[in-house]
Amino acid sequence: MNKQRKTNLIFWLFLAPVLFTFIMVIVIPFFMGIFYSFTNWSSSARADSTLQFVGLANFKNSFQDPSFIYSFIITSLYTVLNVLFINAVALILALVVTSRLKLKNIYRVGFFIPNLIGGLVLGYIWQFIFNNAIPALGNIIPVLDFLSNPDNLVLSKVGSSVTALVIVGTWQYAGYIMMIYVAAIEGVPESLFEAATIDGANEFQKFKNITVPMVAQAFTITMFLTLVQSFKQFDVNVSLTAGGPSAIFRGTPLFGTELLSLNIYNTAFVKNMLAEGQARAVVFFVVLVVISVIQVSINKKKEVEL
Amino acid sequence: MTENKSRLVVLEAVTAIVFLLFLFPFFILVINSAKDAFSITQYPMAMPEKWSLIFQNMKKIWTSENIRYPSSFMTSTTVTVLSLIVINTFSSQAAWVLVRNNSRISKIIFLVFVAAMVIPFQIVMFPLLSWYRKIYVVTGIKLLRTQGGLILSYLGFGLSLSIFMFHGFIKSIPYELEEAATIDGCRKDQVFYRIIFPLLTPIHATVMILNGIWIWNDYLLPLLILGKGNKVQTIPLAVANFAGAYVKQWDLILTAILMAIIPIIVFFLFAQKYIIKGMVAGSIKS
Amino acid sequence: MVMTALTSLVFAGGNNEAGTSKGATITLMQNKPEIDGALKDYAKIWNEKTGNTAVVKSVGGSSSITLGQQLKADYAAGDMPDIFIIAGIEDYKEWEGIILDLSNEKWVKETSVAFTKDGKVYGFPVAVEGWGMAYNADMLSKAGIDPASLDNYEAYRSAFEKLDSMKDKLGIDSVVSMAAGPEMGWVTAHHNFNSLLSNGLPYGDMSVVNQLLKGQVDMKRLNEYADWVELLFKYADKAILTTGNYDAQVGAFATQKAAFLHQGNWVDPNIKAANATFKMAFAPHGSMHTATDGIFVAAPSFYVINSESKNIEAAKQFLNDMVFTQEGQDFMVNKAGMIPAYSNVKLNPAGQLSKSVQQWAAEGKVYSWNQYNFTGDFRDLTLAPIYNQFANGSIDKAKFIELMKKAFEGLK
Repeated sequence: MNKQRKTNLIFWLFLAPVLFTFIMVIVIPFFMGIFYSFTNWSSSARADSTLQFVGLANFKNSFQDPSFIYSFIITSLYTVLNVLFINAVALILALVVTSRLKLKNIYRVGFFIPNLIGGLVLGYIWQFIFNNAIPALGNIIPVLDFLSNPDNLVLSKVGSSVTALVIVGTWQYAGYIMMIYVAAIEGVPESLFEAATIDGANEFQKFKNITVPMVAQAFTITMFLTLVQSFKQFDVNVSLTAGGPSAIFRGTPLFGTELLSLNIYNTAFVKNMLAEGQARAVVFFVVLVVISVIQVSINKKKEVEL
Repeated sequence: MTENKSRLVVLEAVTAIVFLLFLFPFFILVINSAKDAFSITQYPMAMPEKWSLIFQNMKKIWTSENIRYPSSFMTSTTVTVLSLIVINTFSSQAAWVLVRNNSRISKIIFLVFVAAMVIPFQIVMFPLLSWYRKIYVVTGIKLLRTQGGLILSYLGFGLSLSIFMFHGFIKSIPYELEEAATIDGCRKDQVFYRIIFPLLTPIHATVMILNGIWIWNDYLLPLLILGKGNKVQTIPLAVANFAGAYVKQWDLILTAILMAIIPIIVFFLFAQKYIIKGMVAGSIKS
Repeated sequence: MVMTALTSLVFAGGNNEAGTSKGATITLMQNKPEIDGALKDYAKIWNEKTGNTAVVKSVGGSSSITLGQQLKADYAAGDMPDIFIIAGIEDYKEWEGIILDLSNEKWVKETSVAFTKDGKVYGFPVAVEGWGMAYNADMLSKAGIDPASLDNYEAYRSAFEKLDSMKDKLGIDSVVSMAAGPEMGWVTAHHNFNSLLSNGLPYGDMSVVNQLLKGQVDMKRLNEYADWVELLFKYADKAILTTGNYDAQVGAFATQKAAFLHQGNWVDPNIKAANATFKMAFAPHGSMHTATDGIFVAAPSFYVINSESKNIEAAKQFLNDMVFTQEGQDFMVNKAGMIPAYSNVKLNPAGQLSKSVQQWAAEGKVYSWNQYNFTGDFRDLTLAPIYNQFANGSIDKAKFIELMKKAFEGLK
């Protein structure tokens, strides 16, 4: 009995700092935020600024706004592309970096470095590249001169802008995800590979039957991380496209690459509708939770199968 | 044998090219830090005329009274280092008890932590400010406009991912090690600090890098907690001072970016040898 | 031990500033980072002279953080500045509860562009700014075009056509440097939009504004305006039009790659940085078929005082000193390069475009800025995409008119 009590004491003692902080920094503001989404809160000093309960009005308005629905669609598209790309590139890089190449340690570090730069800065650099550097390249290299044609500017059309977002997102994140795959691959005991070679397996068979299953657990983590990160994307969105070239959706012109986080931000600060922004954030959160839960459970099932 | 070798050579060449292309944006960043604002927008791809301009720009930024770069550098470093220490210490010990304790409540707590990773910053952004202000009004503890409040917030926002990563790693540590230690007479907390904590080195390094990058580059949280233009600023806040509503001083922005990136790259280059060693050691164990 | 010391340092935070000076401490928050240096220098001088401490904070950047967001955050944190900026009626409504009435201040009599509501003065005009079509005078004379004739649509149309045919001779890439990209919505949906609202109307006339706010559209006026927009887009450099940022747009004019620039006198510092010394001035916008002989001049933003401030007197003094002391005037005109909004200030800014604005104002040929009567949300999120679609070539003029009409009708 004494041992049990001691164990319980340690349990709560060790948990206390994070639990306390979690409640203070996340839980309480979170519930406050949900509360505010049902009111007309605006954190400013309007003449008529008593806090009033408005029920579901903010939610209703949000769903009637074409830009909110559009944001959902474009964010989903971006997320799917981004998750695919980042993981594909990261896996390839991880294989390269764990192979027998001579410079692999330099590569390992080099591919990771983009991740060290903050999103806002990253977006500005790439915006500069797409708008200025690449067209200039078209002027210097005759074969590439279609690049300097203003009609071909990447950031002037919605489709290519979304591609640009994916490129930058991949450039920023692939190195980080690569590290996770590297850890998984290097966790595979060398002996397994040796045994397989002795049994006569070729490179592809070894990859398929040894590496892939071992990496499967890493897959759940990387899928989750890239999914959440892509859905939440804000910094690069703002600095690379500023909401992007316009598009028409349901007859309303709106910003063509305005991902959800930016849409929420614009609602709160450009439209000065803080409470509605909160409501949209709540919807965003609920959707993201549902998607993550589905993703993780599917991945876990696959893990077990492999 | 030769076929394998030539395949390897091709692979080396392709990878090298891809690698150089990958680092192309850095090339752009560096050559443009050595130009004046006007040349940057007009001739982005040209090599700089005077490389010494980089140092002039750097000096401008370092000595500018408005930006107060040295002091924001100190602040960024202090906040990052302390946050990392705090996050790693408390997250690892929490993850350990969550793993070892198989009760339902332990599983629920873990799930709640992980679920919190999904919370978008926008929901809590403003309520956090009002809440911190209420705390100050009621208890006199100042969380806003202090580094302490910022560090506490980083612990709050960072513990989800950190606990998640520690949790996964600790699961793979054999329980027999701890049993042996207990039999030898160690108290529970000694078991953690003497045995488990050191074994976590590779994951400590990983968590530190991930959190470190995010904290060092973070803009929004310091902006809200420290406030713009106040005495205590972090580097991203200081750099933002160069961006105007209509006018962006590109020469200073790019140079400031360079100055912000260099320390973290240098740190990473030093640390990564150690990390890779740790990661490899960790995996050989299993 | 080290931890304890560090911890106390870390929680002490940043409130032991230069607070040892006697007198009050006031905070001023503004949104023109380009004058941040000059303003801080002036604040130092003011601090020494008055024994007070003025702390200047500049927020800016369309993408990093806007003044509006920062003010909301500071308000939630209980840290609202003593003096801050509003741009117009929409901003005023946002902070109405804490904006102080300044009708009895000394500077009120010296200016005609203060921000007023219901007969009371609330906003201190920061400067006078103006915009029109900036033109390269040397280039126009080479092409045989008289700038004085450029005051209506037809004149511009034939001038643009002529210049376009002489592109190689003049060494320009395009006739006009115009921007309509995602980050430049303010050029189209704020400034160019204002042509629709006030070009050709007496100063302060709100008839078009009020009509539009009620959802009623004068189609004749809108059609003429659409012709003007089409003209500008047609003769603009496509790269700058669709993706160019501010530096690119101004740079094209400064390096003589374009004969006209759609911006205001605030570009003077950029012109200076580009070492552009050719003769330049403003011409009116040709948004109507009838002659509109004037450019748009007004105060772009106003300092207001926080009525909940603990140092109202010091804040009031700061504003008064800017207008009535030699150091304050020197700051406004010489250091910050702004056109003074006060008749007692006799200094003149150095930039050519600023001088041009002053000339037009002296001749009384001015039209008002009315765009701030529409919410930021309406301009940035509803109108700006429409202009962008038109500039991209995704919609034609007829569709542009239709969408604009629909947008206004949605206001009622």
